[in-house]
Amino acid sequence: MKKILIIDDDPTFQETTSGALKNAGYEVISASDGQEGLVMTEKEQPNLIILDLMMPKLGGIDFLNILQKDRENNKIPVLITSNFSGSDKVNAGIEHGVRGYIVKSDESLKTITNAVESIIGKTGE
Amino acid sequence: MDSSTFTILSFFLAFGGISASIYFLWKDNQAKKALAKREEDISRRMYELAILKELGDRIGYSLDVQQIIDIITSSLHQFIEYSAVSYMLLSPEKLIFKMHLERSVHQKFVNDIRDRMLGSLSALLDREFNKKDVQEIISGAIIIEELDEPVRSFFNIPLVIDEKVVGVLTVADTKAGLYKEEEMTILYKIIQQASKAVTSLQGVVKTEQAKVNAMVESMADGVVMTDTDYRILVANPSARSVIGVQNKKDITIFDFIDNLQGKFDMRGQLEESVKLNKSFKSDEVLIRDKFYRIFVFPVSANINALEKNVVGGVVIFHDVTAERAIEEIREQFTSMVVHELRTPLSGINKISELLRQEGPEKIDRKDYDHYIQLIWSDSSSMLDLVNDILDVSKLEAGKFEVKKEPKDIKQAIANRLEFFKPSADDAKLKIIALYDPELPPQVPIDESSIKQVLNNLISNAIKFSLTGGTIDIFALHHKAGSKITDELARLPDKLTVKLPEDKFVNLADSIVVGVSDTSAGISESATKELFTKFKQLGNKPKTGQKGSGLGLAIAKGIVEGHGGSIGVWSELGVGSNFYFVLPLS
Repeated sequence: MKKILIIDDDPTFQETTSGALKNAGYEVISASDGQEGLVMTEKEQPNLIILDLMMPKLGGIDFLNILQKDRENNKIPVLITSNFSGSDKVNAGIEHGVRGYIVKSDESLKTITNAVESIIGKTGE
Repeated sequence: MDSSTFTILSFFLAFGGISASIYFLWKDNQAKKALAKREEDISRRMYELAILKELGDRIGYSLDVQQIIDIITSSLHQFIEYSAVSYMLLSPEKLIFKMHLERSVHQKFVNDIRDRMLGSLSALLDREFNKKDVQEIISGAIIIEELDEPVRSFFNIPLVIDEKVVGVLTVADTKAGLYKEEEMTILYKIIQQASKAVTSLQGVVKTEQAKVNAMVESMADGVVMTDTDYRILVANPSARSVIGVQNKKDITIFDFIDNLQGKFDMRGQLEESVKLNKSFKSDEVLIRDKFYRIFVFPVSANINALEKNVVGGVVIFHDVTAERAIEEIREQFTSMVVHELRTPLSGINKISELLRQEGPEKIDRKDYDHYIQLIWSDSSSMLDLVNDILDVSKLEAGKFEVKKEPKDIKQAIANRLEFFKPSADDAKLKIIALYDPELPPQVPIDESSIKQVLNNLISNAIKFSLTGGTIDIFALHHKAGSKITDELARLPDKLTVKLPEDKFVNLADSIVVGVSDTSAGISESATKELFTKFKQLGNKPKTGQKGSGLGLAIAKGIVEGHGGSIGVWSELGVGSNFYFVLPLS
């Protein structure tokens, strides 16, 4: 089963997105800030990371800066989900090589699961 | 899922709509403010342009003494009889000698007058003049060699302007005994009047020029003025500091060209303006760490009422660095507010998507309760934010009303303490109230808004205090002339964080209310920015708690609405004391 790590400090987003992804057959684990996210990435070796940008302790972009230097884990695809829609934030994401940028409030859970499927394929494949 | 869920959901959809429209109202208000600011900018720019226009006009406006003397001499024959009227004027390079002949005379007559005038000018100015420097213009009747009549009557009047001799005027005739007292008086009076008029006009021009110069010197914008050969006539201190040559003596266009490093083609733009007689406005240009908008204009001088002539160009460097920074902060603020509004809204949206997908029969009671709880907390946080934004915009627009009534401040504090007790317990914090026994029974306050201030201070203290700490809410009656540290001793217990004595030295009778916590403390530099609106949202509490971050800006507005002040005293590693002072009179 493919494993997805959601790093987001918003409990509602955690709850709903993990629900939708679990329904789609993925294993979902979660972290509520970038620091916890780094620990979980190291420990759990997820197939994909869903990453929020504004979080306490360690934000999304700082998380990516650290992840990129990590030779073992910098190949893990990252999908940004944030409520920032400004081009500066989107460009920052692109510069860090992320696989997608989803504005949470503009897209449905279905779009998120579809994006996950298109990046790592359906679970069990 | 029962029908009540759908009612709740539709309520939240409506709620989303309302808050979105509130947000747009707020945005609209911001847009109006931006518009008002732009108008202000434009009117300031118009003012600056007016000054420069005046400057240009002044350059072309030099008083021509020669023209005035010409007018006088051309009408003089109405009053006095003469063969010739002439004047000799000092100009920077030469002596202008102009003679108008009413009747024909011999060349010797002309030469005689010229020599006499040179002599008297030399005597008046105590200076020798060379005949070669005299530029001679003879007009009127012709010179006839057969008419060998000498100068028999002669009268000299010095031309004095602004207490300086600038020349002489002479009437002369071949007839003897012409200029008696009467004629001389008339001529004196005419010349005196003319020189008075010229003197006072020159005074006006001088003061105007001094005013314009002073204005240009002190203008915040850099101003550079050149002639048509792009030689610099004026470069004010601001213009010099744009290119970093404050102290260089003779500044040239090459100083500008070198130091602008190709970022702005000043020479080319000036040439275009001067030759095509049109103005130019640049985009923002970055020069030595600052952003400028650069304007280039041609400067025209009036030749006469109808004709104008381009005499040079002006370059203005308008520093827009601060405006840019404010614009950037404003954009950041908007982006944060949008983010903070979207987060709970998208949460509610996702929950409804899940509920719809799964269908009412599949959802068990536990999940259902959990979803409702999430909807409740998301919508509450959004409601708080919308209210905060509304308060901030009211405060900014000056529409936040403070209605003071005599109230018991102790009761207001006790009420808030009770309200926050459960959350303090959850966070494992002690929360206590400390009252000064000398508090007056009634204090003029707007109770509901003071409660709002307390809400902000206490919820912050709970958010930032470390587990096991204590929050003290205190109220103190400060009396004019007393030391605040002595007065704090009247409280039933010691505060973790004291108050800064110097801030209370010249304070009239007032009530001091504060919330002292046991947080990590705030550095002195950071405390300065705490009460400003924009900084807040950017620095969210790192403990992960939600909040609009506008609370302290609102609290400041409310306290200032009471005529009071708000402040913070913090000791790193000990805690912070957020206090506000309400005047009693």
